[in-house]
Amino acid sequence: MSAETLSAPPGRSTSRWTSLPSLWRQTPLSFRIGLIVLVIHLLVAVTGPFWAPYGFSQMGTGRPLSGMSRVHPFGVDQLGRDIFSRVVHGSHIVILLSLSGTFLGLVVGAVLGLFSGYVGGWIDEIIQRFLEALISIPFLVLALIAIAAAGPELSGNPVLIVLVVALVYAPRIARMARSVAVDIATRDHVTVARLRGESAWSVMRRELLPNATSVLLVEFALRAGYAPVLIGSLGFLGFGLRPPTPEWGLMISENRALIIVTPITVLGPGLALASLVVGLNLFTEGLARILGRTVKLGVQ
Amino acid sequence: MIDAEPVISVEGLSVSYRQGAGFLRVVEDVSFAVAPGEVFGLVGESGCGKSTIALQMLGYRPPAMRTDAGAIKFEGRDLLDLDRAGLDRVRGARIAFVPQNPTTALNPGIRVGDQIDEILAAHGAGDSRVRVARTLDLFGLVGLPAKLDFLRRYPHQLSGGQQQRVCIAMALACDPAFVVLDEPTTGLDVTTQEQIVALLIDLRARLRMSMLYVTHDLGLLSQIADRVGVMYAGRMVEIAPTAELFTDPKHPYTRGLVGSIPRIEDRSGLPARPLRGLLQRHELPKGCPFAPRCDWATQECFEVRQELEPAGAAREVACWRWPEISVPPDARAVSQAPEIDHAETLLAIDNVSVIYGSGRNAFVALRDISLDIGKGETFALVGESGSGKSTLARAVAGLIAPAEGTIGLSGKPLTGLVRNRTPEERRLIQFVFQNPDASLNPRARIAKALSRPLEFFFGRSSEANVQAALADVRLDGKYAARFPDELSGGERQRVAIARGLVAEPSLLLCDEILSALDVSVQASILALLQRLKIERGIAMLFISHDLAVVRMLADRVCVLFRGDIMEIGRRDEVFSAPFHPYTHSLLEAVPTPLKPHPQRGASVEAAGTPSATGCAYAGRCAWQIGEICETERPPWRETGEGLRIRCHHSLEELTRRATWPNEPPTDTQDRRAMQ
Repeated sequence: MSAETLSAPPGRSTSRWTSLPSLWRQTPLSFRIGLIVLVIHLLVAVTGPFWAPYGFSQMGTGRPLSGMSRVHPFGVDQLGRDIFSRVVHGSHIVILLSLSGTFLGLVVGAVLGLFSGYVGGWIDEIIQRFLEALISIPFLVLALIAIAAAGPELSGNPVLIVLVVALVYAPRIARMARSVAVDIATRDHVTVARLRGESAWSVMRRELLPNATSVLLVEFALRAGYAPVLIGSLGFLGFGLRPPTPEWGLMISENRALIIVTPITVLGPGLALASLVVGLNLFTEGLARILGRTVKLGVQ
Repeated sequence: MIDAEPVISVEGLSVSYRQGAGFLRVVEDVSFAVAPGEVFGLVGESGCGKSTIALQMLGYRPPAMRTDAGAIKFEGRDLLDLDRAGLDRVRGARIAFVPQNPTTALNPGIRVGDQIDEILAAHGAGDSRVRVARTLDLFGLVGLPAKLDFLRRYPHQLSGGQQQRVCIAMALACDPAFVVLDEPTTGLDVTTQEQIVALLIDLRARLRMSMLYVTHDLGLLSQIADRVGVMYAGRMVEIAPTAELFTDPKHPYTRGLVGSIPRIEDRSGLPARPLRGLLQRHELPKGCPFAPRCDWATQECFEVRQELEPAGAAREVACWRWPEISVPPDARAVSQAPEIDHAETLLAIDNVSVIYGSGRNAFVALRDISLDIGKGETFALVGESGSGKSTLARAVAGLIAPAEGTIGLSGKPLTGLVRNRTPEERRLIQFVFQNPDASLNPRARIAKALSRPLEFFFGRSSEANVQAALADVRLDGKYAARFPDELSGGERQRVAIARGLVAEPSLLLCDEILSALDVSVQASILALLQRLKIERGIAMLFISHDLAVVRMLADRVCVLFRGDIMEIGRRDEVFSAPFHPYTHSLLEAVPTPLKPHPQRGASVEAAGTPSATGCAYAGRCAWQIGEICETERPPWRETGEGLRIRCHHSLEELTRRATWPNEPPTDTQDRRAMQ
């Protein structure tokens, strides 16, 4: 028989990313809106400190509790601080803490989940029961327990907040990662790697992780969308960052007594928080649709 | 029978599928008619549009599908004009469908009797008592037990063959005039496949219904079809009566297809003239779609469209050069690889038993298996599904630890599980899996799949190594940058083989590596394996249920049944008398072009349970002696040539009983007279 070599027909990978505008038009509407909201938030977070009208702890910027005005769109608090400036200054804190906490949770959760799902057996059982125990505790309660356990000297430390966010999310992300790993681990290409004698770590990195990226990406975006709420809640309850940090939840808490007099001092930071969460969620939903997955959005 | 008014006729049908922003034409101006009582076979490789036509004949219109032109005339109406309500009245009652995969076609949560009852009720077949009686009749008709408690079974309580019988009963429920069968036996093993085909032949004779039989297996059509339509790239390229199609194919593509069928009687090795290349839809010329792969193509073929034209009595062919090329093509055959005298043993399997589960649920997958494979030898394991072939390969690879016995490589015993073996031992045994879709990481480029074993085993890998590995399996170097989903099934299987080869193994375990591929692709992979065997001298444990393939490739053959060796020996001895009764039944079940139809009625599948002490084949054996088969393990019968058969019958008796091979009539005239 003639030794015939198959020539390669043109692949589609070369033409996949031809035109950016046409790609943009193909994305779901929710993705586009979410992305625009996110970009605005990120721009504010990065450039805000340079153009915010006042400093975040600058007092006497106006008459306390004077309400909404052209100079003070979100009003002025009891100490005479401009709420709008504080919201702008706080933006990068909220976003940075949310993303880094979620990312840490993602890394820990993915490693734990992929390992547990791939190795299986009694190791998997132990890890899963442990994670289930953590998940069964409502996330705010879990966060409070962790902060209490860390002791008073760490209270208000941003690193602690990041660790707490990671602790709350890692078990949930781990369960998703495990379900993907259990599915992929039975495929033949993983068997081939096992027959070769690859270590569990190598199989996870080379065979499992690349096939779990879309799930993990959606999971990351989904969790990141609720992280500002968690951080805000901790701040509101007084377990988060310390005053005078312009963290949004803390600000809502500080001004909550004034909600009858000047509602805008609470609504302002609330609006910032809500738009960030809605933006992230719309983005996630769109992203999930692009990646061909469905996610259930709702309060976790 | 072609002169009669056709039951259904497809006229100038063109169909497109939505692809991105535009539409891709998948069926182009196809016309044919099916006469009453006729079985029309539709054949072609995957993606040629045969299933699309089958769906159109059922009036099934998925949203992404667009009918551009044509008509499907059935009982005075055009199916393409019917609305939903009109189709509901026709489908199930007048036109019925038998799907490819009965496991997914049956609702797992509904009892099989109720699933048939649904159809009868939908088409108003009387009250429930009448319907149950009808269902029982149908079960009897398709060779299932016509008992009430059988109606109450769930699909998972039935075997694959029984499930397909239920699907056939469902199709026959309302006495349709026309039945569409879409690859109805593709997922079944050879013996079950034979039973289903025999059932269909029997039903056709009894019920006089017309059928459209869609398949990629040309050998199968020779048994059941009256006429065959050959499709290529959405066009009908040849229509001919079955016998003539096999003896005198006119279109170059049909010649390639017929030539690609591995024939079990054929002892000259590879098919005379296998097809080259692949169907590539994006580079079809505007003339004849087959021109790029055609050995007879001229410049004009690429530009002039070919239409079906009459070519003799009741034949049509879409090739303007058919009178010129009707001379037999020159044989490009490679002779069968010389048998290797295996002086040196590579793999020794001694008294290996594999048991799944434990305690009361223990299942003996392999019972006391001993065999050895020589250096450079191709050793074939044959048997139906569940016979333990794959289990043996998995035990050799170290995926399952044998409960008893030892497996030795080059004289050194291997530990049971792969994680306890040395890297060298792992390198020397490489595994190629059945399904190329799952055996390549979808997120890794081909280059990565090939370079990883090199890095792992030799600590080095370069672009040149990857290119060399691709060249070994006859793939262009450009494939290195691709992801697996940009490759066809055959190309992926080549990559999987290349991945095994880069480790420079001494033993390649091939677990049904051809069964997921089209017949023309199979032929090219087979040629590749044949060449590797000669050039590289790699030993292969080749697992297959396809005896024709085994006959072409193997040096020695072992026939397994329910975990026990029935027969083992050199290829030519296994394929000639004396046979073990099971080997004999396997050989008789092979669908071969122009083998006389099996003259059997609808038979219920024998469901004997293997006895722990006796012969594994007892209960299903046609030549069973009596009680001794159930109670006593048969002795080995050995011929002087090293053939070993495990049977209570003596070798003389086994030779006497052998009726295979059923040599087909050699003269074309005789065959015409037979029809």
